[in-house]
Amino acid sequence: MKLKLFIFLSIGIGIGLIFSLVTYYGLHKTSDQKFCVICHEMDPMVVAYREDVHGGAGKLGASAKCVDCHLPHDNILKYIYTKARNGVVEGSIHLFGDPSKIDWIEKRAHRESFVFDDGCLECHGNLLSTQTSSKQAQKMHKHYQSLKGTDKEIHCASCHIDAGHQNMRNTLNYYTPEFEIMKEQMKEKKSEIQEKYQHYGIQKEK
Amino acid sequence: MKQRAQNIFVALCLSLCFTLLPLTLKSGEVTSSSPDLKGRETVTMTQEFKEKYPLKRVHAKLSLECLFCHDGQGNNPEAFKAVREKTCLECHGSKEKIAQRLDFIGKPNPHNSIHDGTRLSCDECHYEHKASINMCAECHEKEIATNMWMRKTP
Amino acid sequence: MADITRRNFVKLGALSAGMVALGESSLGASVLDQKGVKYDQEYDVVVIGSGFAGLAATITAAEKGLKVCMIEKMGRFGGNSIINGGLFAVVNSPKQKAEGVQDSIELYLKDMLKAGLNMNHTDNLKVIAARSADALKLTEKCGAKYYEKLSHLGGHSIPRTYLTSTASGAGIVQPMLGYAEKLSNVTLKNRTKFDDFIADDSGRIVGVVIRENYKFDMKALDDHAENKTGETKYIKARKGVILASGGFCRDTFLRNMQDPSIPLECDTTNQPGATGEVIMKALELGAVPVQMSWIQWGPWASPDEKGFGTASNFNINATFRYGITVDTKTGKRFMNELADRRVRSLAMFNVIGQDQNYPINICDQAAVDKIIPDLTAKALASGVVKKFNTLDELAAAYKMPAAELKKTVEAYNGYVTAKKDTEFGKPVHGVEGVQINKPPFYGTRGVPKLHYTMGGLKINDKAQIISTKTKKPIPGLFSAGGVNGGIHGASRLGSCSIPDCLVFGMVAGENI
Ligand SMILES: Cc1cc2nc3c(=O)[nH]c(=O)nc-3n(C[C@H](O)[C@H](O)[C@H](O)COP(=O)(O)OP(=O)(O)OC[C@H]3O[C@@H](n4cnc5c(N)ncnc54)[C@H](O)[C@@H]3O)c2cc1C
Repeated sequence: MKLKLFIFLSIGIGIGLIFSLVTYYGLHKTSDQKFCVICHEMDPMVVAYREDVHGGAGKLGASAKCVDCHLPHDNILKYIYTKARNGVVEGSIHLFGDPSKIDWIEKRAHRESFVFDDGCLECHGNLLSTQTSSKQAQKMHKHYQSLKGTDKEIHCASCHIDAGHQNMRNTLNYYTPEFEIMKEQMKEKKSEIQEKYQHYGIQKEK
Repeated sequence: MKQRAQNIFVALCLSLCFTLLPLTLKSGEVTSSSPDLKGRETVTMTQEFKEKYPLKRVHAKLSLECLFCHDGQGNNPEAFKAVREKTCLECHGSKEKIAQRLDFIGKPNPHNSIHDGTRLSCDECHYEHKASINMCAECHEKEIATNMWMRKTP
Repeated sequence: MADITRRNFVKLGALSAGMVALGESSLGASVLDQKGVKYDQEYDVVVIGSGFAGLAATITAAEKGLKVCMIEKMGRFGGNSIINGGLFAVVNSPKQKAEGVQDSIELYLKDMLKAGLNMNHTDNLKVIAARSADALKLTEKCGAKYYEKLSHLGGHSIPRTYLTSTASGAGIVQPMLGYAEKLSNVTLKNRTKFDDFIADDSGRIVGVVIRENYKFDMKALDDHAENKTGETKYIKARKGVILASGGFCRDTFLRNMQDPSIPLECDTTNQPGATGEVIMKALELGAVPVQMSWIQWGPWASPDEKGFGTASNFNINATFRYGITVDTKTGKRFMNELADRRVRSLAMFNVIGQDQNYPINICDQAAVDKIIPDLTAKALASGVVKKFNTLDELAAAYKMPAAELKKTVEAYNGYVTAKKDTEFGKPVHGVEGVQINKPPFYGTRGVPKLHYTMGGLKINDKAQIISTKTKKPIPGLFSAGGVNGGIHGASRLGSCSIPDCLVFGMVAGENI
C-alpha cells in the first residue's frame, strides 16, 4: 500500500513537473514583445519600451518582458486567465476589429488597470523598505503603503505614468497626432522610428 | 480506481504548488514595513479647508496631503505660503524632463518655447487650489482658445 | 485688458484720485535716507529690469568685475524684449559690408530724424549709431544667432536690419540670460519688485528698496497700487543703480495722464508688466521727463483678438504690403498702407470714429503666395483672417458696398501697373507687380494698438539720468532702453529699439 502511494506520488510529482515545465515554457515563449506584437496593436508601445531602461536601453541592457508588468503576478490562475483573455480579446480586435479607432492616449487614464503592482515589485520590492532612494521617494512610497487596502488605494502607475515606456505620449503622437499643426512633423518622426526599430517587428508603412 | 483518481488529484495539486510556491515567497517580501517618514506636524483636513483649498483632479486622486507640498510650514493651512517650482519638481523631475515628455506639442510647447526655453516657473500657468491659466494667451489668444497649440492648462 | 469693464474703470479713476491725494500728504519723502536703513544685501550694482537693456548692463558691469544684482518683478524674465520681433538695426554692420550696402552714422540719423519729426535728441542717437555694431558683437558673444540676410524695413533708406534666427527677441534674451547666469558675480532675481530709492546725504543713489517673492496680479486693475505681496528688503548698491524697466504702454493711469485721447480700454501689444512705476519714482527724484505724451500705435493689429496676435504678422507681410485697407462704410481706401506707424494709425482712427467702424485689410492669393505659409495658416485657423472666393462675398461679409469696393480695387490695380499711386502715394513700385485679382481673397478687420512709449527719462551720452534740479546727472543713477525718452522723437522706426536698449545698457555698465 505504502509502495503504491509512493509510486502514485512520484508519478504525480513527475506529471506536476512536466506540467509546470510546459506551462513555464509556454508562458515564457509567449511573454516577450516579439510574441505579443503578433496580435496586439502595440507598435508605439514597443518603440517607447525599447527607448526605456525597462526595454534594455539601460547600461546593462537588461530588460523586463511585457508580461512582467502587464499581467498579475499574485496568483498563477489569475495570471493565466488574464493572459488568455487578453490574447483572445486583442487577437479578435486585431483580426476583425478596427484597431486604428482605438484612442490609446485616452486609454492611458486607465493605466492602473493594465499595469500590475506586483509585477513592478518583483524587481523593485526593496523600494518600499529601502533607505537609499531619495527622501521624496521614500515619503511617497510610504504614502502608497498607507493607502493600500483602503478605498483610496493607488498604484505604481498612478504616479509613474511613463514607467516602462519612455515618453509614451510622444510616440503615440507619432502615430496619431493630437495637434493638427504637428501632423507632418509627427509623420516624419514615425517613419524615423519605424526605420530604427524595424528589427523589433515594427511595421514600415507603405 | 477511486484511489487512483484521488492520487492524481493530489499530484496535480502538488504540481500547482510548485508553480505557486515561488510566487507566494516573493509576495511575502512586499508587505515588509518601512520607516515612518511623516513629520511631526499634521494637518486636520476639515471639510471647510477641503472646499477652500481644493486639489487638482490628478492630485486629489492620489490623496495628496497638505504637508507633502507645504512641508515645514506649520499646520495651519491659512498660514501656508505658495510653494515654488522646487516643490513641484520633487515629484515631476526636472523642467527638461517635462519638456521632453511633452515634445509632441512641438514649437508651441510652453515648457520649452522659443520665448522662454525651459525657464518659466510652473506657477506662471499651473495653479493648485484655483483654476490654472495660460500665460501664452496674453499674446496668442486665438491659438490657445481654439486649442490649435495646446489644450486647457491642467 | 480686454475684460476690464467700464464700471471697473470708474473704480480705477477713483483709485488714481486716491493716489494723488496720498502723494500730497507725503510730499518730500520721495527717497529713503540711508541713515535709518539696515541693509539686507549688498552689491556693487543693482539693475532693475531684465530685458535687452538690463541684460546688456548686467553683463557689461559684471565683466568689469563688479558684483551685480538684476531684479525683475515678473515671474518671467525678459519683459517686452522676450516677446519682441527680433528685428535689430545695426549701422555699419558686417552683413552690410558683405552685401555691399553703404551705410553711415549720418544716414542713420537722417532716417531717424525724419520719422521722429526732428524731435530726437541727436546726442543719444549718435551713441547708438556708433556703438550698435559693438552691441551686435556682445549678443553674438553670448550666443545669439541671426538670419543670413539683412531686412529692409519701412523708414530706413537702406537695408540695415538683422533678424534673430528664431524671429523673436528671445533669440537675444535667452542666450544673454544663459550667459549672465554663468557669471559668478551676477545674481538674477525674478518676482522681485523695485519700490524705492535709497540716497545718502549728498543725494547720491546708494541703494534700493525691493520686495522679494512678489507675485504680479494679472487680474488687478492697477497692480502697482493694489498688490501688497512680497517681503521688503533693503539692498545696497555701492556703485549705483541702473534703471532698465522698459516703457509704460500697460500703465493705464500714466498713459491717460499723458494723452487723454487714448481710450482707457484700448489694447496693447506689450507684456502685462510694462507699467511706469519706476519712471514715476525717478520723476519724483527729479529726473527730467521727455516727450512723455508721444505714444506709438501699431497699425497692424486686429480688434478680434488680444495683443499682437496672429493678424499683425499677416498684415505686416501681406495686406499692407501687397493689398489695401478700405473703409467699411464707403468701400474706399483712405491711406498709404505703407506710411509710417503714426500716419497710418491716425488715419485708421479717423475711420474707426465713435462707432467702431473698423477698416478692412484686404489682399489676394498672389500676396499670400509671397509670404511664409505658416503666417497665413495661423491667421486663418484663428478665425481672425477670413478667406472669400470673390470680392462680392468679401464685401457682403463685412457689409461693405460691393460695387464701390470693386471700383477701389480696380483703381489700385491700375496704380500697381502704372507703378505710381496718385491717390495716397503708396510706394507701389516696390510691390513686385502684385495686384488684387487672384482669388481667393483675404480680409481682416484692423485696429491700431498701443505699442511703444517714445517718452521717458533723459540721459546723457554716459547713460546718466539728468536732473531738473541741478540740470546735471543724478549721482549713482543710470538708465537704458524703453524707460528713456526723446531718442526716437515722434515715432520710433521699426528695429531701432533693440540697438537703443543694448547700446545704452552697455554704456551704463561701462560708466557705472
Ligand atoms: C510685440 C512687440 C514686438 C516688438 N518688436 C520689435 C522689433 O522687432 N525690433 C525692435 O527694435 N523693437 C521691437 N519692439 C520694441 C522692443 O521690444 C522694446 O522697446 C524693448 O524690448 C524694450 O527693452 P527694455 O530692456 O528697455 O525693456 P523690457 O524688455 O520691457 O524689460 C523691462 C523689464 O523691467 C521690468 N520692470 C518694470 N517695472 C519694474 C519694477 N518696478 N521692478 C522690477 N522690474 C520692473 C518689466 O517687468 C520688464 O520685464 C517690440 C515690442 C513689442 C511689444
